[in-house]
Amino acid sequence: MKKLVQSLFILLFIATSAIAQERTITGTVTDDSDGRPLPGVTIRLKGAKGGTQSAADGRFTLKVPSGVNALEFSYLGYVSQSKNIGTSNVVNIALESDSKALTEVVVTGYGTTKKKDFTGSAATIKGDDLKDRPVQSFVQGMTGQAAGVSIIQPNGLLNNPPVIRVRGVSSISLSSFPLVIVDGIPFPTTDASANSTTNNPLGDINPNDIESIDILKDAASTALYGSRAAAGVLVITTKKGKKGDARVGYDGWFGVNNAVRLPELLNAQQYMDVKNAALKNAVALNPNVVPASQRDANGNGFLPSYNADGSLVDTKWYDEVYRTAYSQNHSVTVSGGTDKTTYYMSGGLSDQNGFLKKNTFKRYSGRVNLTHQATDWLKLNLNMNYNNSLNESPNSGSAPGAAFNSSGLGRIVVAIAPNVAPRNPDGSYNMTVNSVGNGANLVPSNWAHPTVLIDKDKNSSETNRFLANLGADFKLAEGLNFRTNYSWDRSNVENVRFLNPFQGDGVTPGGRATNQNTRRNNWNWINTLQYNKSFDGVHNLNVTVGSDVQKTRAENWGSTRDKLGDPTFFDQFQGTYVSNIPSGNSIDQVSFEAYLASVSYNYNGKYFISGNFRRDGNSGLAAGRKWGNFGGGSVGWSISQEDFFKNSSLGNTVNNLRLRASFGKVGNGNVGAYNEYTTYSPAIYGATPFAWYYNKAGNKDLTWETSTQTDIGINLGLWNDRLTLEADYFYKNINNLILDVPQAPSKGIPEDLIAGGSILANVGSMYNKGFEFGIGGLPVKTDKFSWKVNLNFTFLKNKVTELDPTVKQLIGTTGGLESASITKVGEPIGSIYAVRTKGVNPENGRRIFINAAGREVQYLHQGGVNAWTYLDGTVAPSVAGDAQVIGGTLPKWYGGFNNTFTYGNFDLNLMFTFSGGNYIYNGSRAGLLDQRFWNNSTEILKAWTTPGQSTNIPRTVYSDNVSNGSSFAISDNVEKGDFLRLQTATLGYKLPKTLVSRAGINSLRLYASVNNAFLITNYSGVDPEISTNGNSTLSSGVERNTIPQGRAFTFGLSIGL
Amino acid sequence: MKIFHIKTYKLKIVTVAILTIPLIGSLSSCKKDFLVAEPELTLPEGEAFANPTRILAQVNGLYFSIKSGAFLGGRYLIYNDIRAEEFSNRTSNGVTGLTVYQGTNVASDTYIARLWSQGYITINRVNLFLKGMADHPGVVTQAVNDNYVAEAKFLRALSYFSLIQIFAKPYLLDNGASRGMPLRLLPESNLQNNGLKSSSVAAIYAQILKDLNEAETGLPNTQGDALTNTTRAHKNTAIALKTRVYLAMGKYDKVIEEGNKLVTQTAPFITVDAARVGHALQANIVNVFAAPYTTSESILSFPFADTNIPNTQNQLGYYFNVGNGNLEYSLNITGAGIYADPSWTATDARKTGLTATSSFSGRTYTYPTKFKGISPFLDAAPVIRYAEVLLNLAEAEALNPGGNLVRSRALLDAVRKRSDPTYDFGVLATSAELLAAILKERRIEFLTEGMRYNDLARRVAPIPSFGAGSVSIPVTDPRYTFPIPLQETNTNPEVNNM
Repeated sequence: MKKLVQSLFILLFIATSAIAQERTITGTVTDDSDGRPLPGVTIRLKGAKGGTQSAADGRFTLKVPSGVNALEFSYLGYVSQSKNIGTSNVVNIALESDSKALTEVVVTGYGTTKKKDFTGSAATIKGDDLKDRPVQSFVQGMTGQAAGVSIIQPNGLLNNPPVIRVRGVSSISLSSFPLVIVDGIPFPTTDASANSTTNNPLGDINPNDIESIDILKDAASTALYGSRAAAGVLVITTKKGKKGDARVGYDGWFGVNNAVRLPELLNAQQYMDVKNAALKNAVALNPNVVPASQRDANGNGFLPSYNADGSLVDTKWYDEVYRTAYSQNHSVTVSGGTDKTTYYMSGGLSDQNGFLKKNTFKRYSGRVNLTHQATDWLKLNLNMNYNNSLNESPNSGSAPGAAFNSSGLGRIVVAIAPNVAPRNPDGSYNMTVNSVGNGANLVPSNWAHPTVLIDKDKNSSETNRFLANLGADFKLAEGLNFRTNYSWDRSNVENVRFLNPFQGDGVTPGGRATNQNTRRNNWNWINTLQYNKSFDGVHNLNVTVGSDVQKTRAENWGSTRDKLGDPTFFDQFQGTYVSNIPSGNSIDQVSFEAYLASVSYNYNGKYFISGNFRRDGNSGLAAGRKWGNFGGGSVGWSISQEDFFKNSSLGNTVNNLRLRASFGKVGNGNVGAYNEYTTYSPAIYGATPFAWYYNKAGNKDLTWETSTQTDIGINLGLWNDRLTLEADYFYKNINNLILDVPQAPSKGIPEDLIAGGSILANVGSMYNKGFEFGIGGLPVKTDKFSWKVNLNFTFLKNKVTELDPTVKQLIGTTGGLESASITKVGEPIGSIYAVRTKGVNPENGRRIFINAAGREVQYLHQGGVNAWTYLDGTVAPSVAGDAQVIGGTLPKWYGGFNNTFTYGNFDLNLMFTFSGGNYIYNGSRAGLLDQRFWNNSTEILKAWTTPGQSTNIPRTVYSDNVSNGSSFAISDNVEKGDFLRLQTATLGYKLPKTLVSRAGINSLRLYASVNNAFLITNYSGVDPEISTNGNSTLSSGVERNTIPQGRAFTFGLSIGL
Repeated sequence: MKIFHIKTYKLKIVTVAILTIPLIGSLSSCKKDFLVAEPELTLPEGEAFANPTRILAQVNGLYFSIKSGAFLGGRYLIYNDIRAEEFSNRTSNGVTGLTVYQGTNVASDTYIARLWSQGYITINRVNLFLKGMADHPGVVTQAVNDNYVAEAKFLRALSYFSLIQIFAKPYLLDNGASRGMPLRLLPESNLQNNGLKSSSVAAIYAQILKDLNEAETGLPNTQGDALTNTTRAHKNTAIALKTRVYLAMGKYDKVIEEGNKLVTQTAPFITVDAARVGHALQANIVNVFAAPYTTSESILSFPFADTNIPNTQNQLGYYFNVGNGNLEYSLNITGAGIYADPSWTATDARKTGLTATSSFSGRTYTYPTKFKGISPFLDAAPVIRYAEVLLNLAEAEALNPGGNLVRSRALLDAVRKRSDPTYDFGVLATSAELLAAILKERRIEFLTEGMRYNDLARRVAPIPSFGAGSVSIPVTDPRYTFPIPLQETNTNPEVNNM
């Protein structure tokens, strides 16, 4: 009926303008994304009355009077477009799907809100912005796209869990990873792998299936998730079908990946020269530094080996470990729908190879999303997703905690002697007992042979995940809806590891196989009753009440089998081994229960007020303290909707001006299971008697960690949103911090033997405050050329304001060995903790340290009692315990700068990311300058040799692991982390429709993309965004023995049928 | 038309109501205990003393704790051996004792912190156990109760003694007046009591002796079979440890008093009380270090099994053995190392049976084979052997004013001639000559058994460290003792006060 009236009006217009007609224009309207014809598009004459609608095949015919130079095309869900007609009588146009239409909706807690009615702070990223990229998880593609959200890839290992921080670090001991909701269900985010490979559960989601990601940042937005929202919320919505005939799409890409910024190492000759000189220096101080048998008549211990052709053996170990890797990704979607039913189906295959040899990631995924309007009062929806992800990797030493693994390839590859060959002349591995063969060297190199580790070890982690979501909406009365939504996430992870009996960690056990299985069952059931009503057209009210229940149970079991029956035959768990030991057995269960209510009201789209409340229970907290109350509120004022503003001169330029403020209190539920219980663990004493031993101190007072957040923001739109600005001030105060309070080791509290045991308790507080800005604009927009720009910028300050009164400071360790991080009151969390240094004494080449009293102390390795002396030569105490806070590791500013250019059928996207104001502890440099038998970076060539020489590298003394920071962290290895990176650059070309339509294709786009194109930084390590300790908050900003990042070139195409 | 609408609404409401019933039903099924999740694989403290089986399991748990590879099951022994002149480091590996070897270990070394923590965790487990036993009377008989309490006190004494030796100055330096370590006797399982000053060395020794004396009273004469007699404490175990403690205090008369409870006045030296476990030297020392590790010479040693391994890089065999071991340290066969000492003859069973050589990468290494088992390294970790009691007694007889030098010499000969029957020490007329011979004998006899540093420290002798250079480390040097770990000073700054 509506359409009929519309058509009648149009006919009427055409009739009235018929008199002035001069020529007839014809053309076709298509969808820009897939080239399909668009029916029912309204076409109007610009500057005159009259128009038409496109027919079912997208074609239209329109008589245009003289004086009209342009046509205007508009269609719901697409960007309205004006097109100059020039002299041509054929006007074809492709309408762009309205990204704004999408971004105008914010998916919040338990429903959606129009952005113009939204008074919280959230950022939305479209799925389309993620799919061209060679990423394993969609999170990688989000980098730099949203203000206030920092995303770091810890290293170049495939499918490594990223480090995401929404408005800074939200907790000290609990996870600071935001809550991730996929189609309604909280999704796991921690590494599912039990071995050296990494397995990020978020990698199970096919990025092509994602419609949008909403990042809820302030308390008013997150409070609906109350208990678990302290670190922000990522709401992932998958695609739904659209009404119409089936649309088929194919997206595929092919990529090439390489390691970048590898440290420059000594070649064989340099290695021998440097090490022999160091050896002589050391022997002069202590003849026992290496046994006499490890030196020749000239005092050399590092001697050349020669190839069969007489050339010097000079091995580039990088080539043994790294490679040029190729990847491919394919995704097919079929979607469509009728008035009642829509469907979206997809299948995906990703087969990716990392630049680290044997590092692979494979994902097979299938999805069906259905919606069905069963009756006028019942709507059903069903999402089902099955996927299989297989991650494989040798031990890179780059997973958190693995930095000092003796089989970590990131470490071996730089430290192994370059003057020994990887293989013997007969092609066999050059190896000896658990290390690479010595060649002619008299001092042995004790690094495991990396090629053997790569060839013979196996590490994999495979996830099979079924994700189902079944929901129903009941329309009880006008404006009153009941929604129930049950989600089920069932996953099985199989972790497989085999350590070969020839080299590495498998030598001691004589070959070792460890299999471990995780079965995880996670369900979430949400019921909400919503009342949505507009009174008199000006009073808009929305009330929601509901309940939310979730239960997660994980059962892990596994076994380690040692000592292979036939060491050269078996390489799998199922082989025959001598011993079998249970390992990786555990059961974890947590449940959440919540009741919620929220009210929002606005008057005529001008004045907004909302409030919400939530009561939450968490099984991980102590009895009697499991429940917490959370809530928030917000107000907003759309000044631009006021008549006085509309009528003012400013009103012509400023189409949107809104002020908003919010305040709320949320909690952190990532506390895990069983914390209240003090327990005994089972064991066996020797071969027979069973034992119980006290192994965990619980806390019967443990309750919610809460944070309050204040947000004040402004939204500005100029020239009909051609330029938009969103700015927020935020202040996030975390109280009642759940801290793993370290206990005096002498108390004998169990668990962590390094830190001497700890107990979870609610102590301490911390804040994050800052500003964030998002500026979007369309500086140039013509028919042929447009430039879209988006800049976001965040300033952030973190400070710990209170810890347990008995705990002065928390020391963070890297790989359980290096204590380079500290958290103490008055400093940002996870600051660098190192002994200050002051260059090298030009007189004797010794490193000068600054002790706790501020005095200069120099170090002479192998110096015995005279190892530590003041500059006047008198004996000084060791400075090893004199570490001081050097600087914060959290970037003080960061952001992204995204540019999209289109010219005709070409499009070019340039995405820059930048960050700075932080320090990095470059622990890898300590290893690269270590004076044991390890190879060094070429920086060692600057080492002090002659009195008076001014340099920052101390005199080399063989076995010196102190002067350059291996023994304890030193400030000489602290560097600034500022950088600017061209994160991605993508050039696309859409083939002309006339060309592709002959093949029956609606659209075809080709593109080429480069990821991590360049990096501008003064940081000397492999990458300023490295995070050796992964998601750790207490030891962030450390690079230690980690493999680098890669640079990827991708070539892809998208086809719409 | 309107009526129709009402009907649909009614229908809808009915439908929804029907649908909602099961929903509400399952919601309320969540009930109260929906949020209760109790651990299923660990035992809540309230149930730990519920029956005799669990209490016995806790006693076993105390042994399990003290024999952790981080403590007396591995690393403690290793650190004591590699500090002096007997070994040569092969791998330069920072996590396998390199800084201990080089005399450069610092408060921030996490592996020293691990040793300290494991010692104190054992002490706290004992403290909790003693409190639990007091709080749950009558679950076991009084006699069994006394046995268990005595075993716990014995293990506490052994833990304190092991720690005080390496983290504080020797008792004899100033008769225990120097800073010792925190004396923790209260059970700890909450956030209180982090701060505690150190007690003096003398105060720690006093507690060790108190525990050992009470243990001697409460322990059974025998634990039953050979395996249990070797792996759990009985009366002789407490007495044997007392000879070691009194020797470290220079109280030679007390060493003799305790030693006489275990050793006959003249050869053959065997235990005297027939009601208790009998101890004697084995004819061939090699058998002491072979499965099943339960000879009568082993007064106490800690067992390992496939399901109870010392864990990675803690295993004695991993440090000192070739094969599946990694030979982190090989014997220093030149210079000051005992291996090169002429008194350790090539025909000595301890050389022929307990050392070996191996060549790889073109080099030959000599190494001790007391722990020759390959992965998973199930050789028992020795704590006290009868040979030590004999040498403790020999040293006390030599040094005690009016001591029996003849018995001293006879005890020394007993140990030596067991392995090298034809060796003759010659004339050892003075107590100083006897002492020198006994100390050297201990280096040979107890190599890799964790005695070397203790034997230097209790004599206030400098450490002739091979790894730290040719200069030896005098007792006044800060390097002489391990620094108290940073983790302790961080949470308990008072630890350096007394």
